[in-house]
Amino acid sequence: MLVYIARRLLGAIPTLFILLTLSFVLVHSAPGSPFSNARRIPPQVRAELEAKYHLDEPLIEQYGRYLYNIAHFDFGPSYRYQDTSVNELIATGFPVSATIGGFALVIALLIGVPLGLFAAVRQNRVADYATTSGALLGISVPSFVLAPLMILAFAVYRDWLPAGGLGGWQSYVMPVAALALAFIAYVVRLTRASTIEVLRSDYIRTAWAKGLSAPRVFFVHVLPAAILPIVSFLGPAAAAILTGSVVIEQIFGIPGLGRFFVNGALNRDYTLVLGIVIFYGIIIIGFNLVVDILYGWLDPRVSY
Amino acid sequence: MRRVRVICVLLPVCLWLAGCGGDPGFPNRIQPAIGPDGITTLRKGNGAEPQTLDPAKATGVPAANILRDLYEGLVIYAPDGHVIPGDAKSWRISADGKTYTFHLRKNAKWSNGAPVTAQDYVFSLRRAVAPSTASPYADIHAPIVNATAIIDGKKPPASLGVAALDAHTLQIKLHAPTPFFLKTLAHSSSDPVYPPAVKKWGDAFTQPQHAVTNGAYELVSWRVNDKIVLRRNPHYWDNEDTAIDRVEYYPITDANSELARYQAGGLDWTSGVPTAKLDTVKKHIPGQYHAVPTLSVFYFGLNVTRPPFQGRRKLRMALSMALDREIITDKILRGNEIPAYSWVPTALQGYRSVRYAWAGLSDKARKARARKLYHEAGYSEEHPLKANLLYVSGEGGKRMAIVAAAMWRKVLGAEINTRSQEWKVYLQTIHSRRNTQIFYVGWIGDYEDPNTFFSIMKTHSAQNESGYHSAVYDRAVSASQHMPSGPKRTRLMHVAEATLLHDSPIIPLYFGSAHHLIKPYVKGFVGNPLGAYYSKDMNIVPASAGGR
Repeated sequence: MLVYIARRLLGAIPTLFILLTLSFVLVHSAPGSPFSNARRIPPQVRAELEAKYHLDEPLIEQYGRYLYNIAHFDFGPSYRYQDTSVNELIATGFPVSATIGGFALVIALLIGVPLGLFAAVRQNRVADYATTSGALLGISVPSFVLAPLMILAFAVYRDWLPAGGLGGWQSYVMPVAALALAFIAYVVRLTRASTIEVLRSDYIRTAWAKGLSAPRVFFVHVLPAAILPIVSFLGPAAAAILTGSVVIEQIFGIPGLGRFFVNGALNRDYTLVLGIVIFYGIIIIGFNLVVDILYGWLDPRVSY
Repeated sequence: MRRVRVICVLLPVCLWLAGCGGDPGFPNRIQPAIGPDGITTLRKGNGAEPQTLDPAKATGVPAANILRDLYEGLVIYAPDGHVIPGDAKSWRISADGKTYTFHLRKNAKWSNGAPVTAQDYVFSLRRAVAPSTASPYADIHAPIVNATAIIDGKKPPASLGVAALDAHTLQIKLHAPTPFFLKTLAHSSSDPVYPPAVKKWGDAFTQPQHAVTNGAYELVSWRVNDKIVLRRNPHYWDNEDTAIDRVEYYPITDANSELARYQAGGLDWTSGVPTAKLDTVKKHIPGQYHAVPTLSVFYFGLNVTRPPFQGRRKLRMALSMALDREIITDKILRGNEIPAYSWVPTALQGYRSVRYAWAGLSDKARKARARKLYHEAGYSEEHPLKANLLYVSGEGGKRMAIVAAAMWRKVLGAEINTRSQEWKVYLQTIHSRRNTQIFYVGWIGDYEDPNTFFSIMKTHSAQNESGYHSAVYDRAVSASQHMPSGPKRTRLMHVAEATLLHDSPIIPLYFGSAHHLIKPYVKGFVGNPLGAYYSKDMNIVPASAGGR
């Protein structure tokens, strides 16, 4: 097991390296400059700025410098938010996104898995139809529709929750709910599908035939098997949800990582975009590793 | 299928909302932020996140709004937009108009209690033009002796024509009389910075833990994309007359989110109003809606360095004439924008623009003349003009492009294709002048003088994306920059404006307005075309009976 983890971690290095290189080439080949603005800056000033950020050097040299800095965990200065470094921006943005994403994820699992199981057990009955169509709705309503409606309902028409910004716990309620809803829907559908499949398998029939009690069949035999697809879904999903949703952050005015990423790209903030890409890459690789380890533990057919 | 489902969800929600109490059309909470200890807080929506709070480097309206509260220059703006004494109590201008001597207030202090000295200004102005600072606004100081040579790296910053005669007397020498010089001193790039902080912390001197400011407020906290918090600077010379204790600036780029937060009572002041909500706002809260004409002109640039507009003045003029500007302002923008028949915005005080000669024609006569010019330029129904119109991706640009293309098709039969580009790509495209023909763009003046508009169309201006070149225009503009205000200067500026309109490398469309929603308990707001609002001039006075 330890050997496996070590091998995976070593394998992550070339993956990150390729990710970094590709992103570096892509951001630098995007037309436009981080310093172009509606008000043209004098050419001498522009030259001075480019020298300051080493953008006047050949690309390969910039790349070398960037790799060196990354190896020292220095993501460099942000071009757009000139008074702060990318490290600082990630350090302030990630906890916010991770808090909202984490809560949304937990809620999605707590609601989604039982609902999915419930629907599977009541397959093709009213309860099942109600749950699955509800889930379908959840998937279908985009968050940019849902979030403003929630604001209208709970902040503008009723004074229950703040309309945006970060404050007390109240300000987290709507973003978490808006983010969780789509995930609940996914989790419900995944759980239902896999549970139905497991329920039909031979070893469950055997379990019933042995005369085991219903709770024992469900919690000991069905659940561990049915949850496997959820676990593999969770790896990338968790990485995505924890690093922030641009839409949710924009609408609720939340200073998370997702907004930095998209605004960074729009502003040609090379260092910010690359920094977040690397960070995101590390998180995805980390979560996938955790998922694989969990798999080995949940599924006796898998061993390392 | 998907749409049907969405409607299924929305319908009950809407019905529930409609059943809520209060003004069902437009809830709007009136709750000023006054702490139990009587501390008042002004909460302002502020558009985009500022790039920096370094006065020398900052660009854009959001940063300018905050810097006005944090730093005070030699002169500042009164609520109505007039230049009034700031850190300088008084000043004297020499007879030749080339030497300015400022007497600083003896009680002007930094937020740490240190006095603001003439040496601080010398340091700050040298820093603003030094190449190592790389200030985007360095060239606003061009009137000062040696400024241009310093920006170009040909002379050391110490050679700038700025000297401290004593701790409270500052002398600035210009290389030629410049009638708008005082106004450039109200710009944030002329603000003083605290030399010890800059020397010690470098770029990080703007951070809350290091910042030392001399304005009515000091920086408490700054969280990117969340908010910037200021509190009263107890050492400010006019602290006694400053009413509001704290100011919070919220970077909210989404106008609808901003409006929701205003309605919910989380904001006292918005940086804008969504165009689609203008009518609603005017109907329900007319007293809180303020539309202020600004120093801005929105126009179509025509690339005169390439076909089809190269050397075709009549064609360019025909396009300008064919546009119905009243429809654009009244039906499309709907927010107090002013139809533009000249280049310099009408909101600019102290200058009366030259207008297009045909500006007074009837709709029919104007269109007939447009068609005549179009034909004279060699175009007709059989041989229509085919050109591209470029705009920045987004609703506003799209609407304008579609409307203009439709007007040109209807009046002239011209076939104009509209296409959009993302902001940074767009900037690069129009700057290269290779692929552009018509492009939609705007310009916001830096100070209240026609020069801020005229100078951008000079031949070598980096802003001249049309590639316009006219010796007459350049001469008139250059001469007008360096002579005292008066009839002679006005005449030169009229020559410049008339030449520009006649040559038509640009098609002015409208002069912009700023839109703000301001809660009734916020007192002291007087609109000014610069959008120069100081929180120190405002007050929060809750109505005893409450509002709607």
